[in-house]
Amino acid sequence: MTDTERLVQRFIDQELSPEERMRFVARLGRDAALRQQVIDFEQLALDVSRLPRPGVPDGFVERVVAEAVPAPPAWRGVVNALLRPRTFHWNLASAGAVACLVLIGLAGLLTRPAVAPDATTATAATSTTAATAPRTVLVRLVVVRPGAATVAVAGDFNGWNPARTPLEPGSNGAWVVTIPLEPGRYEYMFVVNGQEWIADPFAAERTADGFGSENAVLDVRPDAGAV
Amino acid sequence: MTSHAGADDTTLVRASQRGDRDAFGILVSRYAPAIIGMTARMLGPAGDAEDIAQETFVAAYRSLSSFQLSSKFSTWLYRIAVNKCKDVLRARRPAVVSLDDGDTDEAAEESWQAVDDQTPHWELEQVELAWELGKGIDALPAVYRESFVLRHIEGLGYDEMSEVLGVNRDTLKMRVYKARTLLCRSLAHVVKQS
Repeated sequence: MTDTERLVQRFIDQELSPEERMRFVARLGRDAALRQQVIDFEQLALDVSRLPRPGVPDGFVERVVAEAVPAPPAWRGVVNALLRPRTFHWNLASAGAVACLVLIGLAGLLTRPAVAPDATTATAATSTTAATAPRTVLVRLVVVRPGAATVAVAGDFNGWNPARTPLEPGSNGAWVVTIPLEPGRYEYMFVVNGQEWIADPFAAERTADGFGSENAVLDVRPDAGAV
Repeated sequence: MTSHAGADDTTLVRASQRGDRDAFGILVSRYAPAIIGMTARMLGPAGDAEDIAQETFVAAYRSLSSFQLSSKFSTWLYRIAVNKCKDVLRARRPAVVSLDDGDTDEAAEESWQAVDDQTPHWELEQVELAWELGKGIDALPAVYRESFVLRHIEGLGYDEMSEVLGVNRDTLKMRVYKARTLLCRSLAHVVKQS
């Protein structure tokens, strides 16, 4: 590059010092050809700045990420969610609420009556109660399904998992199971051959299950021996 | 992606190095316009600029573990894109333009002369100036075009251009000057005929 070319270049790139710039502008006033060249360069820079830029096509970012970054296995998302550090934000209101809950819990523990005497009473009243669980009542469930290959029971007491409580085949198509339950109300259904869910036809009470069918209801009282 | 919204490049690069898809997606989204714009201008209308831009980002991600943050992410990205474009141009016209360092400027001068001689009768009066300007840029020899595009379209300074292209500042200034001169010469046809 000649000195003049370098000077033009530095003028366009705004690299001249104020003194150099003044001298160059004065020279432009005297040199028409140089002046035209600078005007052309400036016009070019302006025209280039106005050139349309191609847009980013739809889905471009997603395509790039999908190709570049392998998708993590689904289980990793669960693990990450469990292990991700979290910041606990608190204020006086939430702290006060937590403190109240703790105090209520402590008060409940301190005012709770002794358990042992009641357990003894329940055990005494229920001749069939197991000795290792003083408040447990043994409940016998019976259903008649002749020809069934398997019968099980699912309910509140076993997490609605029929695999936990199969019935044993008895005589005349009867299926029987005896289960220890603490006093309370339980909903349950029998599961025949692993597929057919039926309510206990001998149940004294039934309730809607919310899915258009009914569950049997078992009311286990502390003073009951067996149902 | 919202968890990284507003994060700077360094934060996003570090997260991407740990395999964070969202962070890398933001980087792609942030630089896609520039990289697509540059590849489009470097490769011309038939250059599959979008494909090369995509290859640029994929290559960047696969090399991200070796990126030390000693230079700007954008500079590093431009360097990958420029090299991708050179590969395409080299495959396209291996016998016409040498893109290797050394006598590239002489080869570029000869190449431009050939292009200029072949197209003295463009139907200039029927086209817009912008279209002609784009065509003129596309017709520039590659070594001038890359310098001109980075300087005038992408707005990079000479220091960053030097880092991207691996060429010293004085050479880059000369190339940009040559590109300006050649473009003004080609656009003079437009001015005269319109």
